[in-house]
Amino acid sequence: MADSVSVLRRWSLKFHPLLDAVAHLAKIRGWPYLAAWAHRITGAMLLLYVFLHIYTLSSLSDPARFDAKMKILGFAFFVLLEFLLALPVIYHALNGGRIILYEVFENRRDQLVLKWVIGLGGLYTAMLAVFMLAGNQSVSAPFFWIYTAAAAGCLTYVTVTRLRRSGASLFWKLQRISGAFLFLMVPAHMLFMHLNPAMGHDAQVIIARMGNLFIKLIDMLLVTAVLYHGSYGLYSIGQDYIRSAGARAGLLVGVTVAALGFAWAGLKLIVQV
Amino acid sequence: MTTYDLTLKVHRYDPDRDKSWVQTYQLTAGRILRFVDLLRKINDEQDPTLAWGSSCEHGQCGTCSMKINGKPLLACELLVENAVAQFGTTTFTLEPLGVAPVVRDLVIDTEKAYFRLDKVKPYIIRPKAQPGEGKEHLVDPKSLERYVTATRCINCFCCTEACIASHHNFLGPNAMLATIVRLMDDREEEKEERLKCLYSNEGVYRCHSSRACSHVCPKGIDVAHYIALAKAGAF
Repeated sequence: MADSVSVLRRWSLKFHPLLDAVAHLAKIRGWPYLAAWAHRITGAMLLLYVFLHIYTLSSLSDPARFDAKMKILGFAFFVLLEFLLALPVIYHALNGGRIILYEVFENRRDQLVLKWVIGLGGLYTAMLAVFMLAGNQSVSAPFFWIYTAAAAGCLTYVTVTRLRRSGASLFWKLQRISGAFLFLMVPAHMLFMHLNPAMGHDAQVIIARMGNLFIKLIDMLLVTAVLYHGSYGLYSIGQDYIRSAGARAGLLVGVTVAALGFAWAGLKLIVQV
Repeated sequence: MTTYDLTLKVHRYDPDRDKSWVQTYQLTAGRILRFVDLLRKINDEQDPTLAWGSSCEHGQCGTCSMKINGKPLLACELLVENAVAQFGTTTFTLEPLGVAPVVRDLVIDTEKAYFRLDKVKPYIIRPKAQPGEGKEHLVDPKSLERYVTATRCINCFCCTEACIASHHNFLGPNAMLATIVRLMDDREEEKEERLKCLYSNEGVYRCHSSRACSHVCPKGIDVAHYIALAKAGAF
């Protein structure tokens, strides 16, 4: 890691002062510190995106309006944005997995895992780009989700088992448990949606898929876990920096109301479609 | 003899005028001088009003901890040649730690910094009963091995300064370490109060495993490892 700092520093001096600042921060605080900041930033971005995602999907009740919205999202610029969303998604998932390994499973080869986060993240992003460019893959939704949910369920179960002996609060444990569940589920969700992007943007296809009870259950779990995980994360960041107890309580109320509001909208949509 | 022409930009504060400023000092120094030697040299040769703290100057008391080019460390342990190699420059910015109010220049109110440590009671609250008249407790070497490195903490507050969670609502990594050491110590009977403190809102929930504490610890303690043990419920 020390070598990578000096390489990055030499490179950054040539190219950009921002990279120089990153290299300096890595030197004075370490790479996991930078990874932690990146985790927070990507987490906040993804929470905002989830709100937007639920809002967009809420128009599924009117398929014509939904298709009109999706038509806009079909423009190259939005397709690029959609692809770029893979970066925070996969980084947050893999780095979250790294944190769970460190805190819950007592893995202390953290520097090595951090390299894997970068490597696997790059691989996932490249794979997604290939699928998006090909745009012709097809897989049965229940088949895909049975396998993914089974794997995510196993990871979640192992995490729950490990956390039984921890004296930490239930809220904190649920943050890690929801993280373990989402570790596979969210990247898989993104991958599935882009196996055939045209079909993923078609209201009738989505409605038909969501008519399946198993898919409904999966979607409900996803919405609940994502909103809990995101809102606890945001609340936790506020707890770190907001000095006033009143403002911290205000943040708790605000985050809870927003999460419950979007959970209600999301769950209602899943039940009704 | 190798010498370096150094530029030291020192963050200064005058409490009488409530004024802060950055003062630049130029000096030539030998390669094995420490930063406390540089500050003393400034006092002797350029500016006797520059205030800074030190006590043992052997990396055992934590009095001289400060931020040098943003990194919290002990000024008595940093040699000029190592600093030049580490930061790749001969210009250094010296700032006081932010964990407590500044008294003057590089000196902080350590009593206030220690308030957070006092909250975790860094001593054995309820010792185990003596095994017999005139007999002392024997600590099992295997058990000691699990936490002996953690006992080397000198409370320099470098970890607290570096922590991602800030130091406003977190007691700090060193305070967590102090209570974890006593939880791992067989002689401590009061586990409940310690766990309550550990799992309080100012406790481990403020740790996000950014591991900056371990990165900057001058004693080489893997502080994050011990806090992670607490989260996993090892005690």
